Amino acid sequence: MSRRRRIEEQEARWNGLGVSDGVVVGRILRVFSGTRQVYRATLGEEDVERETRRLRAAVRLSRMQLLAIKARAEKELGADHAYIFDAHLLMLEDRKLLEDVENYIREERANAEWAIKVAADRLLAVYAEIKDDYLRARGSDIEDVMQRVLVALSGERSDYRKLTEDAVIVAEDLLPSAVAELDFEHARAIATDAGGWTSHTAIIARGLGIPAIVGLRDLHRNARTGDHVVVDAQHGLVILHPSAATLEHYTSITASAPQTRDTTMTDRSQPLATLDGTEITLRANVELPAEYADVRRFGARGIGLYRTEFLLARQLEMPSEDEQCRAYIEVAELAGEDGATVRLFDLGGDKMGGVATEIERNPALGLRAIRFSLTHEDVLRTQARAILRAAAHGHLDIVLPMISDVMDVRRARRIIDEERARLESEGIAPGPVRIGAMIEVPSAVMTADKVAREVDFFSLGTNDLVQYLLAVDRGNEGVADWFRSLHPAVLQSIHRTLEAAQRAFIPAVVCGEMASTPAYSVILIGLGATILSMTASSLPRVRRVVEAIKFKDAEEIALECLECETADDVEELVRVRFSQNWPHLFPPKSLPAPRDAE
Amino acid sequence: MIERRVVITNRLGLHARAAALLVRTANRYQSALRLERADKTAAADAKSILSVLMLAASCGTELLARAEGLDESEAMSAICGLFADGFGENES
Repeated sequence: MSRRRRIEEQEARWNGLGVSDGVVVGRILRVFSGTRQVYRATLGEEDVERETRRLRAAVRLSRMQLLAIKARAEKELGADHAYIFDAHLLMLEDRKLLEDVENYIREERANAEWAIKVAADRLLAVYAEIKDDYLRARGSDIEDVMQRVLVALSGERSDYRKLTEDAVIVAEDLLPSAVAELDFEHARAIATDAGGWTSHTAIIARGLGIPAIVGLRDLHRNARTGDHVVVDAQHGLVILHPSAATLEHYTSITASAPQTRDTTMTDRSQPLATLDGTEITLRANVELPAEYADVRRFGARGIGLYRTEFLLARQLEMPSEDEQCRAYIEVAELAGEDGATVRLFDLGGDKMGGVATEIERNPALGLRAIRFSLTHEDVLRTQARAILRAAAHGHLDIVLPMISDVMDVRRARRIIDEERARLESEGIAPGPVRIGAMIEVPSAVMTADKVAREVDFFSLGTNDLVQYLLAVDRGNEGVADWFRSLHPAVLQSIHRTLEAAQRAFIPAVVCGEMASTPAYSVILIGLGATILSMTASSLPRVRRVVEAIKFKDAEEIALECLECETADDVEELVRVRFSQNWPHLFPPKSLPAPRDAE
Repeated sequence: MIERRVVITNRLGLHARAAALLVRTANRYQSALRLERADKTAAADAKSILSVLMLAASCGTELLARAEGLDESEAMSAICGLFADGFGENES
């Protein structure tokens, strides 16, 4: 592979929505995922049989690929997520579909590609009419299967496993099977034209701790495999054909920040502390089984946040008590002595979990998280039983998402206690479980002292806290400028919550995206946070910063930030003070960029 | 030919997983197997997942199952078993 850059290419920039943080300099692997152009050819009578044989061979090849994908998905994402590929297999084996396609080839003397496209389009048109949202969405599965057969017909290999070390996946959109096929070890970043915060691409990328930017509109069309590219997810920025200066600039950032994927195992027996002796505990956020290896590798002190939604990200139905219990035991074993905090399903809005609900006009403010669980009590009861049973095999805690009133805590606690009693009466021994509250709604911040009296710990979810406090939808590009993690109101809320926890003598763990950004983690520590939880792959860079600062300095800067008038003022203060105090730790690009430069 | 009336009892109806199970089962028998909505708005070949999904059959939907062929009674009892059992998805 040539290291030569195309000097004649002009640097070009795309802005999108960063859905998984990080900066990567790499080379593009362009992945076809959208509609392939299909042309009609008319065959001679004598070629018709050969064409049907070609079709059958392509279907056989696709079938073998799908069987492999299914096996891989079972292994890396868990058995519950692999079943969708069983449906894909059945579609491919669907006699009626194949007969239709073959008949079309014979009767119309059409090439196989065209015949498949015609058959798929007919099906898609029928599916588009279905009233049921879930079934209508199966249209994307038909599309997925059709694309696979078209690729097989073309003789191209859609093999993403042979990625170079620094591959940046560029696609129009990633279909579920393409995401499952990705080489999780070697993909360094993902950039797609379509997608949003909750798209499958985003979930997987965050899970793997690789940067991802979506909503780039026409990047794919302009990109070529092998092109140099910079993916700066913090700023939602993709730079194609970076100039020598840009490249140097970004290379220095990625070189100064330890490579997330190449850092060696850290000794977790050594307690982590700032230079002046404030002990800081770093834990891991996890969602996918594929992340478990990183938790071990980067030496997390247990799991600070286990997001259970992924148990049903693929199947639109609730996993059974036994299925859940198995998953929780696995997480408890992974976390070991340090334990794992299981967040109850954060469902609602777009993540419905198969329970029929009304379409809401404002899902973020609707029936989601604990409200959903309290309304669909059977969901809560099943999950509580599964966690209580699993807790007999390891250390598990429960955290209640989106608490907005002490009543939410009381109601959830009562149900969990009832299930504990039921298990005992059934002769099944539940394990001890502490119950905590996610503090992410302004009303919970305002009443933090009251909530603290009713729970065993706090978890601060900074993403939702910023969204609710500033009334900004993180998924909406139009208001991205108003999403300011360093807004004085956000910092005051965090400070207030941490103080309430301290007064009540309960621990508080900060587990939003802020904790995994080194500069922000310093502010959090300065505000009084001693437990931070983040994507495992971010642990080394945050650890490196924590070891090299004094709490006293962090506190001084943080308290000064609290007094600022605007988010701009806070960011300016951070830029100035951080580069004065710790120039070696924070090169300019690792700090919030000045607004006017964007 | 035999005909039976079945009702979908699992909460999600004939979604992808249940449909896959139904189609896999139906394909084990020689007999032709058809499903028709009791309201006569749609009918499907039980051996085709694309066809079954298009029934858009949700929980509570009544269907007529028809089997015809050498092993029609075995096929029918296997299919009815799946419906009765809520496709293995109904929890206590």
